Amino acid sequence: MGEASLVVVGGFTLALDRHYHPETHMWVLETGPARVRIGMDAVGIETSGTLAQLSFFAEGTELAAGRPFGQLEAAKFVGPLISPVSGTLMTMNEEVASDPGLAERDPYGAGWLIEASTSETAAAPPLLTEPAEITAWFTARIAHYRLNGLIAQ
Amino acid sequence: MVEPLRIIDFGCSSPLRSQTLWHAIAYGVSASEKATLSFTRPGAPYVCLGYHRGIDEVDGDYCLDNGLPLLRRMVGGGPVYLDADQLFFQICLPARAVPASSRQALRVLLEPAVTAFRAVGVPAVLDDDLEICAGDSKICGHGAARIEDAVVVCGNLIERFDHERAAGVLAFDDRFQRDQTLALMRRFVSPTAIEPAVFRAAIISAYASALGLDPQAGWLSGPERRALTGLDERFMSDAWLAGPTRPATSKAGKPTARQVKVRAGVWTLGASYDGAHVAAGVVRGTIDQVRLQDRGLNGATDRAERALTGIPLQSVARVLDGFGDPGRRLAAAFAMADPARL
Repeated sequence: MGEASLVVVGGFTLALDRHYHPETHMWVLETGPARVRIGMDAVGIETSGTLAQLSFFAEGTELAAGRPFGQLEAAKFVGPLISPVSGTLMTMNEEVASDPGLAERDPYGAGWLIEASTSETAAAPPLLTEPAEITAWFTARIAHYRLNGLIAQ
Repeated sequence: MVEPLRIIDFGCSSPLRSQTLWHAIAYGVSASEKATLSFTRPGAPYVCLGYHRGIDEVDGDYCLDNGLPLLRRMVGGGPVYLDADQLFFQICLPARAVPASSRQALRVLLEPAVTAFRAVGVPAVLDDDLEICAGDSKICGHGAARIEDAVVVCGNLIERFDHERAAGVLAFDDRFQRDQTLALMRRFVSPTAIEPAVFRAAIISAYASALGLDPQAGWLSGPERRALTGLDERFMSDAWLAGPTRPATSKAGKPTARQVKVRAGVWTLGASYDGAHVAAGVVRGTIDQVRLQDRGLNGATDRAERALTGIPLQSVARVLDGFGDPGRRLAAAFAMADPARL
């Protein structure tokens, strides 16, 4: 990830070198042919609360877009990590599983969650792919969350 | 027309069923069943692990000696001791009816429980850490999860609380940390001596009112009964008890501290670093009691412990720096604490 691809929007960092699933705040970064890395953006992490635990399904698990690939726990609430792509879970980030704070400190770098082989292009709908639309969406979500008290003004 | 709030009172259940019954409801609500408020009371004591927590956090010998089965639930939180003196309630709604933010969902689904406590004369509040408290004491445990397309929040009315057993089931390497945990449980976890039937009526009324639903007695559907059979098998399996896939090493092989949360802001620590060992109780960011061990402290142990008692956690490193290399080793052990993730 180049420094130039990182921007700050409304006080939150945003990487513009990847694609985003707008409902789940998951990002998708192509790392090779039919291979992607998946993580959660800074606003998704902020609105989850302090991450106490992260767990992932076993490597080799078939993934379906819109279905879980693992679980997160914050404030004693266990919720699903939703896959933005269909494919196969190839690798989990063991560092982030044992230290969930890594996802908070470096959401677009060392805090990635899993890598998957994917049977569809990472740019398939409904992922946001263009930097301008990503920035507009991110800006709107921050405003929405601030209006609803989910993140500090 | 007002939608129904299904009310199911399972009465007294086996330890296994006191978990699997309401998990079956979650799958039912996820499929198509109505929002449900359920109740159950375990007929025998047992220990229950939060979804992500390790079996090694539980004292297996203590559980064996006291005949306490160990189960794992799908909701969050740490290992807890449950018995017949606790009435458990579970509110379960379709996920679409609940705020997407887990913190907001918790707040919305715990507020009616606070209303119920207040309706029966208990000055309960939902604090900033989303714990139900009266004064300094936690009076209601809770955990929550999204299970498929349903959200469930569990809580309890603690009629009597066996602090000894609640601390006894937890694994500690350090006797002082165990004693501190018990002492802090006695200070910060309190039972509520009210008639359970009165509380039950109050909480039904509170949830129905808050959610705009009409309470109606009900029972498990056919699909829920079938789900229950599967859940019974799953919850008894070694694979389920082992928990979700975890990394082979913790923090990439680095040693970790043993931390136990008593309630939000109140926790104990046991940690070792390079031959130094600390055990401490922490209350709202301040060292409550502490024991230090390091080969180099010589006769300064008592003085170092006195210097730390009552000071903010963020001052620990500065104070211990005055005790030379042993102090810095002890500070490194303290620095392994990560209470934000308890």
